[in-house]
Amino acid sequence: MDLDLTEEQQMVIDMTRGMLAEHSTTAIVRDMEDDPKGYPEALWKQMSELGLNGLLIPEAYGGGGQTLLEGAFVYEELGRAMAPTPHFVSCVMSAGVLLEAGSEDQKQAWLGSEDQKQAWLGRIANGDAILTPAWLEPQRGFGEAGIAISATADGYGFKLNCRKRLVAYASSAARLIVLARTKAGVDLFLVDPRAKGIQMQQLLSQGREAQYQIDFADVKVAAADRIGAPGSGWKTWHKVMLQGVTLLAAQAIGGAARCLEETVVYANQRVQFDKPLGAFQALAHYMADASTRIDGGRVLVHEAAWNHAQGRSIERFGPMAKLFCCETYRETTRVCAQIWGGVAFTIEYDQQMFFRRAKALQLSWWDGPYLEELIAKDVLDK
Amino acid sequence: MDFDFSPAEQAFADEVDAWLVENHDPVVMDHHRENFTQLSDTPERRAFMKKLAAKGWLGMSWPKEYGGKEIEGVYEYILNEALSKHAAPQIGKGVGIIGKTLIRHGSDKLKQEFLPKVLDADVEFAVGYSEPAAGSDAANMQLKAEKVEGGYLLNGQKMWTTSAHFADWYWVGARTDPDKPRHDGLSLFLIPMDHPGLEVQSLPTIGKDTTNQVFFENVFVPDEYLVGKRGRGFHMISEALDLERFTMFTLSPIANRTEVLVDWVKKAKRDDAPLKDDPNVRRTIAQIVTDTAVAKGLSTRFVCAAKSGGKPPTIESSQYKLFTTSLSQRVCKDALDIQGHEGTLMEGQEDAPILGRFEGAYRATMNETVGGGSSEIQKNIIARRHLGLPKNF
Repeated sequence: MDLDLTEEQQMVIDMTRGMLAEHSTTAIVRDMEDDPKGYPEALWKQMSELGLNGLLIPEAYGGGGQTLLEGAFVYEELGRAMAPTPHFVSCVMSAGVLLEAGSEDQKQAWLGSEDQKQAWLGRIANGDAILTPAWLEPQRGFGEAGIAISATADGYGFKLNCRKRLVAYASSAARLIVLARTKAGVDLFLVDPRAKGIQMQQLLSQGREAQYQIDFADVKVAAADRIGAPGSGWKTWHKVMLQGVTLLAAQAIGGAARCLEETVVYANQRVQFDKPLGAFQALAHYMADASTRIDGGRVLVHEAAWNHAQGRSIERFGPMAKLFCCETYRETTRVCAQIWGGVAFTIEYDQQMFFRRAKALQLSWWDGPYLEELIAKDVLDK
Repeated sequence: MDFDFSPAEQAFADEVDAWLVENHDPVVMDHHRENFTQLSDTPERRAFMKKLAAKGWLGMSWPKEYGGKEIEGVYEYILNEALSKHAAPQIGKGVGIIGKTLIRHGSDKLKQEFLPKVLDADVEFAVGYSEPAAGSDAANMQLKAEKVEGGYLLNGQKMWTTSAHFADWYWVGARTDPDKPRHDGLSLFLIPMDHPGLEVQSLPTIGKDTTNQVFFENVFVPDEYLVGKRGRGFHMISEALDLERFTMFTLSPIANRTEVLVDWVKKAKRDDAPLKDDPNVRRTIAQIVTDTAVAKGLSTRFVCAAKSGGKPPTIESSQYKLFTTSLSQRVCKDALDIQGHEGTLMEGQEDAPILGRFEGAYRATMNETVGGGSSEIQKNIIARRHLGLPKNF
């Protein structure tokens, strides 16, 4: 049992933090809010050059072949810097889907799978192509039932009809990965966002990243653009999500840790009643509680990621990590705002940026109730 | 990074677990005593500790010259987690606070008198630090120890001495030098518990067990039963707390309560429907299981910090204690909420859910966020020593 980092792991952390200090300053993060593109080219280029975009992609496909644990270290840094990047949608979720699809039925060697990997994974790893999932639908939830019937057979392919919401960075996407229901069940399709019948509209949302609503009207998709075996889409998606939420938990811890650090600095400087704020127990105890949750949440994330790297199931650990860390991030930003006082409410101070992102992250990519049900299922129904 | 025990550690954990299954005895091992299971307070439990001593499991981390094995403290952590998982008495004050302090600061006489007895489980200690005016403010002890010919004369009172009603010896902090700064005026003494002038008064608690207050009236302690140097008492007490991180507050009892609750929820019915299908119950269970995993993470954190052998893992230990004790209470509260009106039925009543375990645990865990350094004291430690905030009291 040890929690020590290897020299290489520490280097990845230092390198990422150093790069983000230059390319994801809060001024840059502010600039990107509500921007239709949503990420700075310089940051994206740096991430590619440092190998962060290919971090989790196997070497055979042009990536770095690192485990989810290294991913968690990087995501804590991305969270600290509130880095505006399509890394999660493209390098984690989209790359993950392409990698997972068909991985369980090697025998069938599903037609197109390897071609799809060859076509996209290298370009994702070097930052040339951004892919993003089009998943959520109006008035529908995070579960399998959230995907309404939307893909009908059309000759040798399919026709898509649906509305997708909160598709991040869609304006820069080379392909969308659309979750749609066919007769076989939920399927995943690679769709060119410039295809006929697609309409995109930017949405303003709490995290202020580039979010889009996409309408598909009789959009034609070739059968070869289905990812994986017919009806295997949801299983693939769920497996990749387990990895994704583990990284988002790390991101939440990074945001919470930085928010608390800045608040501690402020609490040591700001004087009221002739004492620094931090000398008031009422406030010091908020910060002590927050630090305990942050340090505990971080170990949980690392344990989840480590288990995945060991080839063990994270069916329970992944959801537990996101549930706990996102609530920790949210609660940390709430008590920190209390310590900053009135200024936290202003746009001028950075606190509001953490405050909004914390809640948005908690509500995205499996929210509290959905995570709780996944955990309950694993604990009570097996 | 590695979240598994090493093969040697795992082998020891398995060995202890198998031995405890083999030596299961419902008289010795009773989960319903909750935190008091750690005490060796009955003839049967003392006999059990003798068996543990015969296995060579007491004082494993001590130096070889004092009969120890000089192995890593993590083995004592593994042992205590296993013991508490089975609701057996634990290695505690004798091997830990008292043994380790005597090894570092005790005279040859005290070492020879007490260390072999600790290793053989032939002695039980009570620890007397708290007083009516020295609770969280431990340095405020007022028990008077006046220097007299050949020794000290003790007068005053101790509070919350949990083991005083069955222990053989009393490990006591007293004020020898009232004129010195308060941290430098305290000394440690060893006194036979049956000493004339010592009066133990039971304080029944809301839990299953009793604690005590102890009154001192002209209790004479010979010079040779002063531990270490006069005036160093508070420093030795603090040092022992830092040395003793491995055997404090085990997680197993909380993990055990969570498991017991989950097992019960899986089988229980309400209005003929499975209770586990109730969305509120599912949500509560998910939260408890998650927070229990975080508590385990915080314990991993302090065990790893202690293993590294650097500075004492004070902060890690405070965070663990803060989080875990409040979780412990919440598990009991949530369990009763899930059980509803039947949750109020006490142990021994027909149909009391889980034999009334949580009705009792709800009461027994009330003190966890107070004893052993209250949550507020832990937060002060974290605020000052971890976050670098100013002194706030």
